[in-house]
Amino acid sequence: MVAGREDGGVVASPPGGGAVRADLEQVFRAAYPRVVAVAARVLGSRDEAEDVAQEVFLRFGRSAVPAGEAVGWLSVAAAHTALNHLRSGRRRVSREEAADDGDAVSPDVADAVVAREERRRVRAALARLPRRQAVALVLRHSGLSYAEVAAALDLSPGSVGTIVRRAESALREELNRHASSE
Amino acid sequence: MRHPSDGTLRRLLDEPAGVTDADREHVTGCPACRSGLTAARQDAAITSAALSVGFDTRWHRPSNATTGVAPSVEFALDVDTGWHHQSNAAASAGSSFEVAVDAGGHRQSNAATGAASSLEVAVEVDTGWQPQPNVVPGEALSVEFDVDVDAGWHRQSNTAASVGSSVEFDVDVEAGWQRLSNAVAAEEGRGSATAVSRWRSAAPGRRWRAVLRSPVVAVVGVVVLLAGAGAAVAGDWLQILRTEQIAPVVAPQADLVKLPDLSAFGKLEITEKLGVREVADVGAAEKASGLSVPWVSKLPHGVTGEPTYHVAARISAVFTFSAEKAAQTAAAAGQTPPPPPPGLDGSQFRLVAGPGVASVWSKARGIPAMIVVRAAAPTVYSSGIPFDTARDYLLSLPSLSEEVASQLRAFSGDGTTLPVVVSVERLASSTADVGGVPATVLTSRNGVMAGVVWVDDGIVTAVAGSLSADEVLSVARGLRWDR
Repeated sequence: MVAGREDGGVVASPPGGGAVRADLEQVFRAAYPRVVAVAARVLGSRDEAEDVAQEVFLRFGRSAVPAGEAVGWLSVAAAHTALNHLRSGRRRVSREEAADDGDAVSPDVADAVVAREERRRVRAALARLPRRQAVALVLRHSGLSYAEVAAALDLSPGSVGTIVRRAESALREELNRHASSE
Repeated sequence: MRHPSDGTLRRLLDEPAGVTDADREHVTGCPACRSGLTAARQDAAITSAALSVGFDTRWHRPSNATTGVAPSVEFALDVDTGWHHQSNAAASAGSSFEVAVDAGGHRQSNAATGAASSLEVAVEVDTGWQPQPNVVPGEALSVEFDVDVDAGWHRQSNTAASVGSSVEFDVDVEAGWQRLSNAVAAEEGRGSATAVSRWRSAAPGRRWRAVLRSPVVAVVGVVVLLAGAGAAVAGDWLQILRTEQIAPVVAPQADLVKLPDLSAFGKLEITEKLGVREVADVGAAEKASGLSVPWVSKLPHGVTGEPTYHVAARISAVFTFSAEKAAQTAAAAGQTPPPPPPGLDGSQFRLVAGPGVASVWSKARGIPAMIVVRAAAPTVYSSGIPFDTARDYLLSLPSLSEEVASQLRAFSGDGTTLPVVVSVERLASSTADVGGVPATVLTSRNGVMAGVVWVDDGIVTAVAGSLSADEVLSVARGLRWDR
C-alpha cells in the first residue's frame, strides 16, 4: 500500500508509470464517487473535489497499484492531494464564495454549528493537523470502515480509533485556539 | 481492570462490534470511561459538523447526520440514497429512524442497489435502542448504553461502511470519465483526444479489450466519423448505418489522433449508460442479453477451466452537432472548415449498441486468457441525411489526413461498413473467413495478443486473447451453438 509521507503530505508515485493501466475506466466508474467524497470532506467544495479526483485518477492511471488496493490507494491519495491543495492555498476563493452563497439558502444544521466564516477556519485547522491524523480523520468521516482505513494507511484496525480520536481532539483544539485568538 | 484506550472508546461509537465484550461492559460501569466516551462523542460530532460545512447546496446531503456517534447516524450520512427504504424498514420494526431525514434529504429516494442490502439488516437493530440523529455535543450519555449490539448490527455497520460515501454524492461519473479520458490523451501529448484515439493510445492490453470486448468503442468510432458530418432536418430517426461488415482502416497513429473530438463539434448525451455485470451461468447470460452464447469445442493450449459470463446492457447516446462549436474548434486550430450542408446545425444522431454477452476465461491478475464476445452490432440513426453526405463532409474536414481520408472514401456508400480504425504501429490486420463470413483478424505487433471479429446478421462476434492468430481463428471456426 502506498501512503503519503507523514511530513510532506505527498502521495508516493507507485512504480509502473508509462502506459495507461487497463482497468482505469472500470476502477474510475466504481470509485469516482468515493474519491470525490473524500476530497470534498477536506475542501468542502464539489468542484474542487472533482478537480482533485481527476488529478488522483490521472496518477492512478499510470500506476501499478494492484486492483484490489485501488479504492484504498485512491482514497488516501485524494485525502493527501486535497490537503495539499489546502496547504498550498490553491483553493479558488471564488468557488468558496459561491458555496457560501448557496449555503445562505440551505437549511443546513451544520451551518448553525459552524458559522460561514468559520468554515474557512475549519479547513485551515484541518491543514494544520499532523498529516497522518488528518488523512485518517478524513477517510473515517468519508465512510470508510476502521478496517478500510487500516488497510489504506497500513495500520492495525485497533490503532485507527486512536488516531481518529487524537485527530478529532486536535481539530477541536485548533478550532478553539483559532476562535479564542479572534 | 484497565481502562480501554481512547481509541477503543472512539471505536465504540462507530463500530461497537469491533470492541470486545469485556471493554464494553467495563465502559458501561465505569464513570471515567463514560466521561471519556462523552468527550469522544463530542469531538466526533464537532468534527463531523466541521467537515460537513461548505458543501455546495447542489449536493443536497442530509447535513444534520453525524458520523461517529450512533449507528443510525452513520446510515443517514453514508447511505443517503438508500435512506428512504431504510427508514421504512426501520419504522416497521418500531424504531425511529425516519427522524434522521431532513429537508435536504429528498435525493434519498433514489435508492442505490448497494444500499438496499442494508435495509434488511437495519431491522435487526434492537428496537430498544433509540437512535439520535440530531447529535448535540454533550447530550445525555444514557443513549450510548441503550445500544444492544447484536449480530445484525455487526452486519449493518459493515454494510454501512462498505457502501460508504460511494452513494453519498450524486456525482456525474460519465462526465468525470470523459474529462479524465481527455486529460489522459492530452497528457500523452497526442493532440486532440477523441474517444477513438483514447483506446488506441492506451496500453495494448487495454486497447484490445476495448476493441474486442465492448461495442462501445465501435459506436464511438462511428460517432467520430459522423460527428463532423451532421444531418439534415429533424424527423423520424432514419437508420443510416447498420453494421454488416467491419473493415479496418490502417493508418499511422499520428494521423489517427487528428480525428475530431466529439465535444469540439457538439454535445454527446448518454441516454442509456453502459452497465456490465457478471451473471451466474450461460442460461442467465442468454436470458439477460437475449443472445445465444456459443461454446468452444476445443480450447487452445493454455486456456483452461470454465468461463465466467458477463452481460452488457444496451447503451445509447445522442449526439447533437453544433456548427458554431465546430467553427470555434477549427478557428482555434487556425483552420477554416468548409461550409456544412444545409440543416447541419443542431442535427442529431442516435447511437445504439448492445446488448452484449462475453464468456471470459481468466488467468492471473484479471487479464483474460481468452474471451468470446457477442453483441448487437452498433447502429447509428440520423434524421435523414444519407450516409454519403455525412461521410463526404467528414472527409472534407482539414483535420483528417489524406491517407485516412482515402481509405474512408473506399467504404460503401450504403452505410453497411463500420470502419475500425487501427493503429498501424501496434496492430496488424488481415482478412479471413469464418463460417463463410468475412472476418478481420487483428494481431498485436508484439505478437502477444490476437483477435478475430466478424459481423453476421447484425451481431458482432469476436474471439480474442493472449493467443496467436491461428488459435483465435481456430476457436472462431469451432464455435458451437448446440448444447
